[in-house]
Amino acid sequence: MRLRGISREWAWGGSTGAGVRVGIIDSGLETDHPRLAGRVVQSVAVELVDGDPRIVQDESGDLYGHATACGGIILGLAPDVDLVSIRVLGADLRGKGTAFAAGLEWAIDQGINVLNLSLSSKSEALFPVFHDLVDRAYFRGVVLVSAANNVPAASYPSLFSSVFSVAAHSEPDPMRLYYNPTPPVEFGAWGVDVPIAWKDGGSTVATGNSFAAPHVAAMVALILAKHPGLTPFELKAVLAAIADNPRRPTPRVPNRP
Amino acid sequence: MVVDDDLTAALAALRAVGRRSSVARGLQGGVEQRLLQSIVDATASLFDAEASSIALFEADPDRLEFRVAAGAHGAGAVGLQVKPTEGIAGFVFSTGQALALTDVASDPRFDLEAAERTGYVPRSVAAVPLLDDEGSVGVLQVLDKRGSPSFSLRDMELLAIFASQATTAITATRVQRDTGRLLGEVLRQVGDRTMTDAQVEALVSDVTRGLDDHPEAPFWRLVDHVASLRGLGERDLTLVGDILEVVARHAQRARRRA
Repeated sequence: MRLRGISREWAWGGSTGAGVRVGIIDSGLETDHPRLAGRVVQSVAVELVDGDPRIVQDESGDLYGHATACGGIILGLAPDVDLVSIRVLGADLRGKGTAFAAGLEWAIDQGINVLNLSLSSKSEALFPVFHDLVDRAYFRGVVLVSAANNVPAASYPSLFSSVFSVAAHSEPDPMRLYYNPTPPVEFGAWGVDVPIAWKDGGSTVATGNSFAAPHVAAMVALILAKHPGLTPFELKAVLAAIADNPRRPTPRVPNRP
Repeated sequence: MVVDDDLTAALAALRAVGRRSSVARGLQGGVEQRLLQSIVDATASLFDAEASSIALFEADPDRLEFRVAAGAHGAGAVGLQVKPTEGIAGFVFSTGQALALTDVASDPRFDLEAAERTGYVPRSVAAVPLLDDEGSVGVLQVLDKRGSPSFSLRDMELLAIFASQATTAITATRVQRDTGRLLGEVLRQVGDRTMTDAQVEALVSDVTRGLDDHPEAPFWRLVDHVASLRGLGERDLTLVGDILEVVARHAQRARRRA
């Protein structure tokens, strides 16, 4: 079934993502990387003080290069979005899930339009926390785009139904999008041999679902810039409508005698 | 504070648990190491890769320790330690997200320091997390497929399958690895709740003292012999059991005479 009247031209024709804020919940953006070209408007990190999370200003750049890679992919498609860096990866591994949840909560409460997530947690204890946060995001119209996990085991929040869960396809086209009608993974975007920005002003070529997710985050930003106020539900419907899936032949309805 | 008698009884029970656990570990004869080795051997061979390795997370201080490696350029990685906050292995471990990078060596700013310590700098690397029910326990890496400059989606899927094999091997032996921690927890329960970490540590080492003797000690040689009997048929095992029973009776008589 395909929605009629919704084309790519309608969805994002002429859009550059201007006015839309996209948060990268990851390893921290390298704000002075040439590929990020001054588009990072805010950088925060989650710090754990005696196990309690606290949001602080962040100037430590990118620990690994991964957040910068995601930011670069998004700006490649939507050059005028404002990026917000939310660093939740750091030295304290034991508090990783807690820091992730705190960073996600902060970003949702800030009303950042689109959040790109590369992490997931398998902690049963955090299941209800993420469940509440994902619902809060949905009701506030905040779009959560998450890289799907390759392993069959449960991981949150990428498996929650309102999240835009993305896996990689190998066709070298940043705008090629597939809709998967049999979730939990709902979308496919380019994620094989993708040229990316990397740490210390560098660049490389990478493969993984976490490089597919930012393509979808960017598409959502393009649509939102042109059609402000669309809800996550409506945005999923638009993406499904403009996806590159092979079209099924229209069923022939026999004429009644 | 529990009374001394209770504590003595608890310590005796813990000593028995510790001894059985150590014997079990000895009987296993490094099965985890052998399984992990066979996984990296298979990975290096299947991908026709220059190197394949598995790093496991160890705490205090937090680090990823390369345990096994295979391939023409793999050997240098064994024993190497990297911080979980650094590099590809660190990212994959911390996020649970698999990834592959191409053109690694062409960029001098890339995280090469760890690679150089292994004596081999790769052009491409694929890394997948070892995920158990709680989260990441380590990372499986493959360096440089000879037939291709990069890794495909199919490669990543296959690697994830090998990683889940490795995780199964690790989970099966984790019970033994955690014996010390378990003893510490139990001691806190039976003992004074205000005991300091150092006091608990002292008691645990008292309980486990003598269990991890030098591997060449006669008792462990005996354990090795018993371990080598695995795979015998039921009849042969019954025969071995009968012989051991005779030996044990002899040992009892010898003790009584002494």
